[in-house]
Amino acid sequence: MRFQLSLIGVAALTIPAFGQTQTAANYGPPATSYAVEAARYPDAATKPTPHLADGHPDLNGVWHHFFGGLVGQVGNNSFDINFARSIPKGDAAKTFAAKPDPEPEYKPQYAAKVKMLSDNQVKEDKTLHCMPPGVPRIGPPQQIVQTQKQLVFLYADLTGNHWRVIPVGAKHNADPDAEATYNGDSVAQWEGDTLVVDVTKLTDDSWLGDNGLMHSPKLHVVEKLRRVGDTIQYSMTADDPVVLAKPWTITRTLTLQSDTLGEMPPCVDNDAGHYVNGEHHDNGR
Amino acid sequence: MKTNVRLAAAAAAALVCVVPLVAHHAVSAEFDSSKVVTLKGVVSKVDWVNPHIFVYIDAKDENGKVTTWRLQSLPPMFFKNSGLTKEKLMDGSEATVTAYPAKDGTDGFGFLLKLTYPDGHFYNLGGSTAPGGAEK
Repeated sequence: MRFQLSLIGVAALTIPAFGQTQTAANYGPPATSYAVEAARYPDAATKPTPHLADGHPDLNGVWHHFFGGLVGQVGNNSFDINFARSIPKGDAAKTFAAKPDPEPEYKPQYAAKVKMLSDNQVKEDKTLHCMPPGVPRIGPPQQIVQTQKQLVFLYADLTGNHWRVIPVGAKHNADPDAEATYNGDSVAQWEGDTLVVDVTKLTDDSWLGDNGLMHSPKLHVVEKLRRVGDTIQYSMTADDPVVLAKPWTITRTLTLQSDTLGEMPPCVDNDAGHYVNGEHHDNGR
Repeated sequence: MKTNVRLAAAAAAALVCVVPLVAHHAVSAEFDSSKVVTLKGVVSKVDWVNPHIFVYIDAKDENGKVTTWRLQSLPPMFFKNSGLTKEKLMDGSEATVTAYPAKDGTDGFGFLLKLTYPDGHFYNLGGSTAPGGAEK
């Protein structure tokens, strides 16, 4: 879920890529497009904040897309790929710069495991083999469908299409035998104008993010969503008392989009047998 | 392999190749950017799947023998709103195709760089400085 979308990062896309090995820095393409989407609607936050009949802020809408749109037409009938297509022009480019996420702080005894997983990510990271990223790695909702009683979060991800149905005002599943899942057991409540989503029962098959950011079955995630005009201020706090030294929080600003989310093609792991080394890059979400 | 393949050792290409770092694993983890394979053939199939589409080329050698190459390309989302569709890729015309071959030696497997057609139009999916990529 790490996000490092900077002008420097984009410039790095134009330097030789081969032979690079994975480091803690995300040198890959900006796999998310929050800043690009924000640049297309720069005054979104100044718009009135709409509310539904029940008085709560209206979170309905498409808020984000997985990174794309880099292929374009050149000339009459030719096409090429150009990463510059992702860079906003003029003043909007200022919004393109974004701070990288803070790193989660692991307890010292887990540092070696995180490093091992990161060093062997091509083999160890299940999302690279089409398994779901799960919460929280999947990132903020890309589309929200909201009713008084529940919200549905939709995601069109590189690994496929994912969804969460989140009841409002409900309690967590009390069944002690309920299996942990990739997206966990989510319940929501309103705290003023902020929707607070509490997530438990998350499988430790998933990671918090790229680079070996593993977690234990004790992971507890709290997401907060507050609509401001035509934006949503989103935060995610991951608390894992087993492996993390302290809770880890990241934030995103989502911008209301005017188009549809669309269905992602299925993910097919065609590459597993052909890797000759561990070189790879991250997919920010 | 007796297809109409030219393996051009291109050490210099390694200095300028900037095939985009597509979806999660690095191109360098699978494909050899020091070599460029050139094929003449027809796109016979396209798998429009994540994390990369795959383009199949039925390439003829000098004896007319057809070998099908399976070429990895870009993530499907990269084509969003571009107009370059699966249908367009499969228009049936013979193209000159360049690709990086697989490092593990798998025959007929590579990373698609560019398709160029006899009338001059092209689909450069290998980045701005891939061989021939600067052509506009």
